[in-house]
Amino acid sequence: SNTHSGARTTRPVWCCVVRFTVRASPARRAAHQAGRPQPKTLESSRLPTHPTPLTSPRPAARLAAADAMSAGWRTLLLRIGDRCPEYGGTADHKEHIETCYGVLCREYEHSKDAIFEFLLQCAEQLPHKIPFFGVLIGLINLENEEFAKAIVDTTQANLQDALHTENRDRIRILLRFLSGLMCSKVVAPNSIIEMFETLLSSAATILDEETGNPSWQPRADFYVYCILASLPWGGQELFEQVPDEFERVLVGIQSYIGIRRHFDDIAFSVFETDQGHSPNKKDFMEDLWERIQTLSRNGWKVKSVPKPHLSFEAQLVDGKSHRVSSISCPPPTPSQSSSEILKGQEKHEADLKYPQRLRRLHIFPTNKAENMQPVDRFVVEECILDVLLFFNGCRKECAFYLVSLPVSFRYEYLMAETIFSQLLLLPNPPFKPIYYTLVIIDLCKALPGAFPSVVVGAVHALFDRISNMDTECRTRLILWFSHHLSNFQFIWPWQEWSYVKDLPKWAPQRVFVQEVLEREIRLSYFEKIKQSIEDAAELEELLPPKAGPNFKYHSDESNENNDGHRFSKELVGMIRGKKNTRDIILWAEEHIIPTNGAEFALGVVSQTLLDIGSKSFTHLITVLERYGQIISKLCPNEEMQLLLMDEIGAYWKNSTQMTAIAIDRMMGYRLLSNLAIVKWVFSSANVDQFHISDRPWEILRNAVSKTYNRISDLRKEIQSLKKGLQVAKEVSAKAAKELEEAKSVLEIVEGQPAPAERPGRLRRLEVHADKAKQEEITTEESLEAKGALLVRALEESKELLKLLFKSFVDVLTERLPPVSADGEIPNLRAGDLNVNFAAPETATMEIDNENGADNSSEPNGQSSKNGYNVGELEQWCLCTLGYLKSFSRQYATEIWSHITMLDEEVFAGDIHPLIRKAAFSGLCRFPSEGSHL
Amino acid sequence: MASLFKVRIHPNPNLASGFSRCHAHAARTPFRLQDPNKLSAYRDRRFPGTQEEYEAALQASTTVYIGNMSFYTTEEQAYELFSRAGEIKKIIMGLDKNSKTPCGFCFILYYSREDAEDAVKYISGTMLDDRPIRADFDWGFEEGRQWGRGRSGGQVRDEYRTDYDPDIL
Repeated sequence: SNTHSGARTTRPVWCCVVRFTVRASPARRAAHQAGRPQPKTLESSRLPTHPTPLTSPRPAARLAAADAMSAGWRTLLLRIGDRCPEYGGTADHKEHIETCYGVLCREYEHSKDAIFEFLLQCAEQLPHKIPFFGVLIGLINLENEEFAKAIVDTTQANLQDALHTENRDRIRILLRFLSGLMCSKVVAPNSIIEMFETLLSSAATILDEETGNPSWQPRADFYVYCILASLPWGGQELFEQVPDEFERVLVGIQSYIGIRRHFDDIAFSVFETDQGHSPNKKDFMEDLWERIQTLSRNGWKVKSVPKPHLSFEAQLVDGKSHRVSSISCPPPTPSQSSSEILKGQEKHEADLKYPQRLRRLHIFPTNKAENMQPVDRFVVEECILDVLLFFNGCRKECAFYLVSLPVSFRYEYLMAETIFSQLLLLPNPPFKPIYYTLVIIDLCKALPGAFPSVVVGAVHALFDRISNMDTECRTRLILWFSHHLSNFQFIWPWQEWSYVKDLPKWAPQRVFVQEVLEREIRLSYFEKIKQSIEDAAELEELLPPKAGPNFKYHSDESNENNDGHRFSKELVGMIRGKKNTRDIILWAEEHIIPTNGAEFALGVVSQTLLDIGSKSFTHLITVLERYGQIISKLCPNEEMQLLLMDEIGAYWKNSTQMTAIAIDRMMGYRLLSNLAIVKWVFSSANVDQFHISDRPWEILRNAVSKTYNRISDLRKEIQSLKKGLQVAKEVSAKAAKELEEAKSVLEIVEGQPAPAERPGRLRRLEVHADKAKQEEITTEESLEAKGALLVRALEESKELLKLLFKSFVDVLTERLPPVSADGEIPNLRAGDLNVNFAAPETATMEIDNENGADNSSEPNGQSSKNGYNVGELEQWCLCTLGYLKSFSRQYATEIWSHITMLDEEVFAGDIHPLIRKAAFSGLCRFPSEGSHL
Repeated sequence: MASLFKVRIHPNPNLASGFSRCHAHAARTPFRLQDPNKLSAYRDRRFPGTQEEYEAALQASTTVYIGNMSFYTTEEQAYELFSRAGEIKKIIMGLDKNSKTPCGFCFILYYSREDAEDAVKYISGTMLDDRPIRADFDWGFEEGRQWGRGRSGGQVRDEYRTDYDPDIL
């Protein structure tokens, strides 16, 4: 796995312990350790079977030594700084380091190489413990300079590699590690300064129009962010030891901040102000710079970073500091062209490559959130994000580290805000939203007295501001909340929200409650959820209808003679009688179509087949697999497909889930085209639902994402086929060569040259060569076939995008209030009295918020309860614009690759400025760009 | 919260013995440590190949086995939950071989390996229909595996199952 550069793909560090403890089969162990020195300390690296509870009182020091002996050096390195049984349950950092150092000394001779590797791994994967690893290396440095020098050199090489492979997490963490090593006198402060200067000058070069390429500002920002992010971990030492040089760096950063472009994050902001702006006035660089400046004014004192080196200063001061060799940054990516479009595309690519790690979300009012220094907030956020990154997939460890960061203050509110900010991160969180659902569940269990109430508070606060929340975030919040509640017996104080039933049916809060209830029912069942809202019986009217089919040809006495019922019954009979599809198609063509028409035939057949497949998802699939051809025959064109979806919608009118599933599967079997689905979603009956239900949007999201999933699958398959073809070619060439060689060995038999090789071997080689050639040809053919499929899929996706955006533009143009004669753009929220009159200084300010991040005029909870005054048409427009933005953001990469076509065919002419704004802000494109033909 | 590492104790002697065939030492080690790349201790004893082939099949599989479900949980409930890890291809409900009714397990087939991994990582041990369900990689569904194998015709685990299954947490 050495070829993987991403932190996410390398083997997590705690697996090392697993490796030695589980005692895998010898073969596997050998494979794991290929190229590594065999550790001789297998026995000592076992973990205790019965971990002692954290709270158990025990005479620490003496037992700690005994535990440490049995725990082994790997475990001690992993657990350093944790209050844990391996260290006798104490949190005395000095004692931890002494104990661990003692054991490392003892094992040093045997396991020098293993210790070396493991220390580096620990530093990269447990970055919040870097100060501890720094001191340990500092202490080793006193005895063995070569070891410490090798650590520094290897780290430099790793950093160099990470810079060129653009491995963001690694760059950031290694800079922190080198700072930590500096604190323990292993690295010379001037080397750190030199590194900062290299990064800073590279950042400045990128911004330069002549020598660099300002489209790549995200990379420049990232370099400077890495410098700033390492300052809480080593700023104080730099300030004390090399004050002038350090000052020079800070001045350099200041001037960088001065020349860089402010990043308007409206495209990625969870909330929008009522005027359609982002509530964040400072972008993340400006914000971080302010925090660091405050830190500088406070003499570089950071509460949230442990300083274990201070306890060992007397010893460490004798260590020899090593120089870090110079690093180089990759040269700026040259600009491809001066055209606006290509620049926009480049900028998008850069944003994707260097995404912002966190978009801070202010959920709680000041009096609730923890009071801490601005820099401490930043440090704790970074630690939380690192735990989420490195402990992804390890539930217990993840929860353990989240709740036990080595800081001296409480941070539950901050933790909740950080996790919610990831759940709602735009365009996409680093992991699937369901990961954060799990983390929140686990934290509620780990901190039963504290965290659940924090979550409740967060939900209330987010709910109060839901009408200003990004559409995509609303959907994620609905999915998260319903899933979360399903893990806690669906208990929620619904009566506090019962007022929403008096709001108009398009009010965002009401829609939110309705959609949460809908999703809860899908995860559970109707009666259960109905019971869960017992205390708020008013909300029953928001429940969806009890799911169940709505079969048009349900047989009862009265309609026996009706044509439809008769045909339907016949069809059921034919299917029971195992008639094949051809016979059924013939039957429909001969008996229904001539007298009742094709549409009627489609109605009867599709309703009847849906009814046969109505029992479950699998029943549906089985029916479609067996009888899909009949539907396909009856739906030769888009118009008929639209009718088919009307039939599905009618049959499953009481179940949004089954409607969506049926349409999704039919798209999977190519009975419905994605274009037909888009057209259907934008047909008038569905358009009328846009602002009051997620139903049409779910169907649309499915269709678009299925299209792109298919493309990404094809790309992956082609990638692997290409590799396979390479291998097949080599094998084939080798076999052919071998055969040729064998054939060419001749001997003289009876005066004539004859093959010297035994005929048996020749035949074998021939068969082998043929087989290899065949394999090569087969692979080549499937590669061609997949290539053709991809071309077709891409062509289809282009058509899909065009239709999708055209449809958005059409329905919005029809309904948006016009721009006034003097060019004033309509304010869709103007009717909301809360906005115009009820915007007192709300309680959303934060203690560390001198930077003014989020003091916008959000309507607070009180005022929003007084009523919702946005008119139906305005809310319809807000909602549809929100989805337009959301789709353009989600598929920005695909859109950019077809932007010329879209500019010419969709965004051309007199497009309403609000449409342009929504579509373009999703692409981070200025509304003025694009053609104005 | 005391332990840094997930400790898995085998509650099920059948599974443990199936597992120890190829891990002679595992039986002496009374615990296993969780790591995200590790395959689960769940071993289908009907797998036709060797332990290595079994593990290779698991590493590549896009099928997830779900256990400890309620008998009343429907495919649509499972669909709603598991589609949050990725697009689902198929669901196969485990059926009691006598009564042909659901008996507490199912297979979810994903299109992509990554989604199957996420389902195992993020859904195992969470609640579905008020029960803590368990999700594991499976080597792939074959016709016939939907029938419960217990003596009573149900899922093997049913015979000693309790409401709360410590194995999955």
